[in-house]
Amino acid sequence: MAAITRALRFIHKDAGSIIFLLLVLLVTIAGCRLTQSAFTRTAGNAGSAFAAASTTLTYVHEGKISKAYAASSFVNYTSELDGLDQTLPSQTGVPDAGTLQRLLNLYKPAMEVIHSPCLDESCDWRAQVAALDSASKAFLEVSNS
Amino acid sequence: MKKWFGLALGIVTATGGFLDAGTVATSGEAGAKYGLGLIWAILVATVAVILLVEMSGRFAAVSKKAYASAIREEFGFKFYLLPLLSELIAESLLLAAEIGGIAIALSLFTGISWHYLFPVAALLVWIMAWRAPFSLIENGPALLGLLTLSFVVAIVALGGLPKELLPTLWKPEIKSGELADYLYLVAAILGATISPYLLYFYSSGAREEKWTEGSLLLNRVTAIVGMGFGSLGSIALVVLGAIVLQPLNISSSTLGELGLAMAKPFGQIGAFLFAAALFATCLGAALEVVLAVSYNIAQGFGWEWGENKKPVEAPRFNLVLLLFLLIAVGIGLLGMDPLQLALLASTVIALFLPFSLSPLLVIMNDQDYLGNKTNGRFINIAMIVILIIAFLVAIVSLPLEILSGGG
Repeated sequence: MAAITRALRFIHKDAGSIIFLLLVLLVTIAGCRLTQSAFTRTAGNAGSAFAAASTTLTYVHEGKISKAYAASSFVNYTSELDGLDQTLPSQTGVPDAGTLQRLLNLYKPAMEVIHSPCLDESCDWRAQVAALDSASKAFLEVSNS
Repeated sequence: MKKWFGLALGIVTATGGFLDAGTVATSGEAGAKYGLGLIWAILVATVAVILLVEMSGRFAAVSKKAYASAIREEFGFKFYLLPLLSELIAESLLLAAEIGGIAIALSLFTGISWHYLFPVAALLVWIMAWRAPFSLIENGPALLGLLTLSFVVAIVALGGLPKELLPTLWKPEIKSGELADYLYLVAAILGATISPYLLYFYSSGAREEKWTEGSLLLNRVTAIVGMGFGSLGSIALVVLGAIVLQPLNISSSTLGELGLAMAKPFGQIGAFLFAAALFATCLGAALEVVLAVSYNIAQGFGWEWGENKKPVEAPRFNLVLLLFLLIAVGIGLLGMDPLQLALLASTVIALFLPFSLSPLLVIMNDQDYLGNKTNGRFINIAMIVILIIAFLVAIVSLPLEILSGGG
């Protein structure tokens, strides 16, 4: 008990120094590129989400997951990916205009799949998987470059 | 023999307290992004949570008091408001995430958008917390929580751990610019696991079950087996994420993605097992959180409390329960994704851990309460070290994540 009381007193007495040191630590590591740019992060997340959507669509046609499971998953992918074409261009760390345009060109058809995935055999789900894979690959490449 | 069925208290505490939306989210994301490179954080959190649960159970069994009432008695009402406030902020976020987790689990079964199922999930939590006896709250989610063992079976079915993954255990691949993300996940794992609501729930549960000094062995076994069980499920999710999702470039940024890892070896049954396990863990956690906060406030303010009492016998306890649930529903209806909410809640919890847990360290060293059952030096030092790690990681990673657009 006495040891704890001493420790609490020490912490109380030196609280200012501890906070100062933490702030110095924070500023130091913030300057060491510990974080990705907003664009890199968003592109990486989008690439992963398109990859997940592609696997979901493939699995539902291979009978590995139910249509209900896939439908629920696509609602979440929609929430994650909707509106990226509006936000991406204005984010910090955005690449050159050509690269950005290439991503946006792949984003549009991939989002059509996300909004209307082929969960039965009545439409060309393989083409949809291809569109998702292309978008996933491009976004992940830009994110990793 | 009957009292050993009290192990259910440990299993349910683990099912809801160790495994919940936050743990499922952080474990899956950890495995998918960093292979086995965050298992160390789960192990640290496991040690911490075993110590905490054992302490809170020992305190309740020996002193015949629950944690919240002891804080007020030992430190006074004004001080009690500090851990209460931190608890209310962090747990309201977490409860919203847990209800969202239940809604997503139901959505994975039905295909209906989780947004529509969110009120249904909240209603389910309210009905169970309002009227179900403590034994049902213990045994229902505990039994369903056993489904998390299927995560371990899935790893075996996938051929076990690939050798090439092993080096990531001690040398995770952290790309340039990803260190803040890695630290954020460390904080989230620690915060998701070392949740202070466990203390309020577990110590109150021990009082509901009228534990005595004769229950200390049971308490120790419960803490180790229950939390060990939860840890096993959490580590299994990391491994599943690493084996299945990482090679597919899936980062497990939505809860349903982890079900794909279960679907690979078991097909539709695997996906359903994942959804059922998610439902059980989130339901268990939601009940624990809402009850823990109600216990906390009722005990701190000296009101009548008890899950085994009819609402009319403990009206203010039940009113708090309803109001807190409504606050969480309000947060949930703002539309934030439950997984992101769970990650944020876990990091906020890590930030508040020193405020929430330091009173326990003091109380556990007070002979007036515990006689010769006070903490040993090792437990005190271990807890202080873990609290400092969790706090430092949270204070460093949270602002960095927010600045870089994450979190």
